[in-house]
Amino acid sequence: MEKISRRDFIRIGATVTAAGAALAAASGTRSLLEKGGAPVVGRGGAMAAPPLDETWVKTTCALCPSGCGLVVRVVDGKAVKIEGNPLHPLNQGVCCLRGQAALEMLYSPERLPRPRLQTGERGNGDWREISWDEALALVADRLSALRAAGQAHTVVFLHGETRGQMRALINRFMTAYGSPNVISQDSLDEQAARLATFLTQGINGIPVYDLNNARYVMTFGGNLLEASRHVIGYLGALAFMRRGRPDRGKLVAVHPRLSLTGVKADEWVPIRPGTYGALALGLANVIVNSGLYDEDFVRDFTFGFDDFEDEAGNLHMGFKRLVLERYPLDRVESITGVPAADIARLAGEFATNRPAVAVMPTGPGGLASGNSLYTAMAVHALNALVGSIDVPGGVWVQRFPRLADWPDWTPDPVAEAGLAQERVDGAGSDALPLALSAYQNVADRVLPAPVGAAQVADEPYPVNALFLYNANPVYDAPNGSRFAEALRKVPFVVSFASTLDESAAHADLILPASTFLEVWGDDYIEGTGYAGVSLRRPVVEPVHDTRDPGDVLLSLAAMLGGPLADALPWRSYKELVEYRLSAIDVDRDKFEENGVWSEMVYFNAAPGSPAWGNVVGRDRLNAPKDGRFDLFSRELFAALAQGSSDDLDCLPHFDLPATVESGDAATYPFLLVTQTLITQPRSWEGILPTLQEAYGLQTNMKWSSWVEINPRAAEALGVKKGDLVWVESAVGRVQVPVRLYEGLWPNAVYMPPGQGHRTLVKWGRGSKANVVIGANPNRLLVAGTEPLDGVAAVSPTRVRIYKA
Amino acid sequence: MARWGMVIDLDKCFACQSCTVACRMENNTPVAGPDQASRGRAILWNEVLPFVEGEYPNVTMTFIPRPCQHCDNPPCIKVCPVKATYKNEEGIVLIDYDRCIGCRFCTVACPYQVRYFNWYRPEWPEALKEHLNPDPEVAPRPKGVVEKCTFCIQRLRKARQKAEAEGRPFNPTDYVPACVQTCTGHARYFGDLDDPDSLVSQLAASPRAFRLLEEMGTEPKVYYLKQG
Repeated sequence: MEKISRRDFIRIGATVTAAGAALAAASGTRSLLEKGGAPVVGRGGAMAAPPLDETWVKTTCALCPSGCGLVVRVVDGKAVKIEGNPLHPLNQGVCCLRGQAALEMLYSPERLPRPRLQTGERGNGDWREISWDEALALVADRLSALRAAGQAHTVVFLHGETRGQMRALINRFMTAYGSPNVISQDSLDEQAARLATFLTQGINGIPVYDLNNARYVMTFGGNLLEASRHVIGYLGALAFMRRGRPDRGKLVAVHPRLSLTGVKADEWVPIRPGTYGALALGLANVIVNSGLYDEDFVRDFTFGFDDFEDEAGNLHMGFKRLVLERYPLDRVESITGVPAADIARLAGEFATNRPAVAVMPTGPGGLASGNSLYTAMAVHALNALVGSIDVPGGVWVQRFPRLADWPDWTPDPVAEAGLAQERVDGAGSDALPLALSAYQNVADRVLPAPVGAAQVADEPYPVNALFLYNANPVYDAPNGSRFAEALRKVPFVVSFASTLDESAAHADLILPASTFLEVWGDDYIEGTGYAGVSLRRPVVEPVHDTRDPGDVLLSLAAMLGGPLADALPWRSYKELVEYRLSAIDVDRDKFEENGVWSEMVYFNAAPGSPAWGNVVGRDRLNAPKDGRFDLFSRELFAALAQGSSDDLDCLPHFDLPATVESGDAATYPFLLVTQTLITQPRSWEGILPTLQEAYGLQTNMKWSSWVEINPRAAEALGVKKGDLVWVESAVGRVQVPVRLYEGLWPNAVYMPPGQGHRTLVKWGRGSKANVVIGANPNRLLVAGTEPLDGVAAVSPTRVRIYKA
Repeated sequence: MARWGMVIDLDKCFACQSCTVACRMENNTPVAGPDQASRGRAILWNEVLPFVEGEYPNVTMTFIPRPCQHCDNPPCIKVCPVKATYKNEEGIVLIDYDRCIGCRFCTVACPYQVRYFNWYRPEWPEALKEHLNPDPEVAPRPKGVVEKCTFCIQRLRKARQKAEAEGRPFNPTDYVPACVQTCTGHARYFGDLDDPDSLVSQLAASPRAFRLLEEMGTEPKVYYLKQG
């Protein structure tokens, strides 16, 4: 540490002095700002300033899935600072940089102030602002006409992240309307992890890892500290894990790139992109072979470890034989590139430093290699081998509170007929039986196949109307330009975007959503294990004439009447939330005052007591089936039994992603990996200038994108740091500067996602409006879909790089 | 009188930069924008600096969050020709923007490079001015003066006023800068270094503790704890 010289500071940190030389001695003249230009930190003067009349309002963040409790400082009706709510059990008073920067979202000049209607050709940018009454009437007329014509099922609702009751509201609205087409963005990120948890533990959810009490954490993927679902809880927990020797736990990060997680880990394990599953099975091989697994847990609480006979008398392969026969270390080394000695050592450390957890990747792009379901199952199986299921320091299942039951309603014949139709994305069809959504499929199903390519599947029926909520498929889906084409083909597109994002630009009508700081709502507390709810409420008067999409859906339901009005009898989203939360037995005033409520009893409960057992312990309330962890998935066996005699389909196993060893390796020698940075908000498509100024910490890159290349590979290519290059895949190319980075698998390249948005605003001196900030790597991704589960299969994508 | 100091545990710092952003929101440093940022003129009183070492696959990276070190023996003060920068009786190094003539001797003298010069009048897109912190101490600085971290001096003033309004004596734990309050890894500690019982003085005495460029004799009041 002491090696850092003053020169380093000059080189890396500031450039004030360098710039100063150019202007030499600046003049002493200066103009005070009109606004508040009083002398500031003067000797004594300002210290006597009277306190301002301020209030602190508690609400809940919505910029990433953590959903932290916030306290917002409000002065003169303006929100001026955000802190964490100390009573929220996940963030416990801290607030990450995205939450801090949320003020820039609230007051962003990029926000759309009121509804607008496309007047000319779609995508041309001819807009007319209209009133909410006019806008709602337009949508209601269109929806009711389609419904009357028996076309209810041709209405599609694409959505991204939803908070609290919103997902249920969307589903209820569409079900009552009569469309099966609620299509979630989950298939781009979390669907594989959720499904793997369901197939092994019987619970459809993202596992919660009790890192506070873990001694050994092995995270697959580089996301844990940047973009995992409960990131803020994990940051605090890992800090706690590092409370000093001898208690200090070990964190190991497995990822092709030395991400922030890898940097802060105790050990980084570089691995060939897309091969996590093989490494997990190799680790299992060592743990089983050396007898280091938790025999009691495996015997009493797992299914399918040893070979077994089913009811029909057929012999099936168990997990033990699978890993011993098929994943010897030399094979795993050749697949993953991780030396066999390292695999053996890591396996030994993992099995002997309990409680140990293996964390599956959950963030966007973490699991999207075409083998993601079995990869997630393979990683999760490690937790079962060392008995880390439902124990302190292991894997927990998130509990949710029991809320008031939704009122009964009866679908009419139109709704019944509509719901019986096939989904537009093909989820639940014979090809994708386990899929809940296949977001990336929509464009290909709506459009004819490109010339020369085979049609993926025929469009079951033309889509007549499409809604976009927290979803921007032209930007966020692989090869989004196909989505732009698809949107042009749909006669009526409505977006709830807050800014004129890439997809909203192709909409007929934009019903701008209010930001989370202006609306009522609720948020399930996740990442703690126990159940809880955090309240969201307006901290300031709405800045613009925008509405909460929840309110808009309820208004539409009332206007459409019939089963919709029966299913959704509330006048506002606030009323709906109040109704749902009415079942929670809590002092209302206290709830309002604290902003959060949770079943904190676990915190104070003695190990082994009933309250403790509700969260931890194998007598847990919602254990699946017989409470056993499926190493051999009985669910998959039941789903696939017809005609499938291959046991591998039911066991975690590894297939090399098609892109890693496909024939176009000669043309496209590099493997593109992407991974969300902590500086990127997950549900806001506009520019937040302060996050841009903190954007690429590891590269010291602000307001831009870059491509990271291993220096040896760059030398072979003849490119240097800062060179502008084209990164090109089979479907597109983008131009970015090069950054040489030692922390990268030799033939992998990395681009940060989240950039490439056009901004209409002039941000800061000397900058221009109407420019694109950085480049969007999603444009390079070749859209593929994993069989069975519908998860996007896009990573790693093969690219080549050449000088611009 | 307290002697305010900070301890940053590099083992718990996950380089998330929440401190950087919290500082900007609290202290009204302006939006630099792509052009000024590319010239290295983004004003961030609390930057996190990356240091990469080694070759693949043995690469290490160290991140150092860098607020003003609030030296007990600050070189910046000695070079100021107009006595605009000074250390107050509680050890916080401050700048009187009204006296500052913008000569930038202090920016050069500071071995930690924490002082930022306002080449231009700070700018925000009009709409974003709504969220500026209205505390008078952090009113946007004029063109031509130097600015830097103040340990959120406005928070100290407000904490004292709050204690007075509540009719109780001010306690050093009533006051933390914005970066300390928001730190996601709970890696930052703040308090009175003169109080031997305070957490910061205990941590500052830890064998893991060090200060930046200690050999220069600047006596910084920001301590770092080595990574595990």
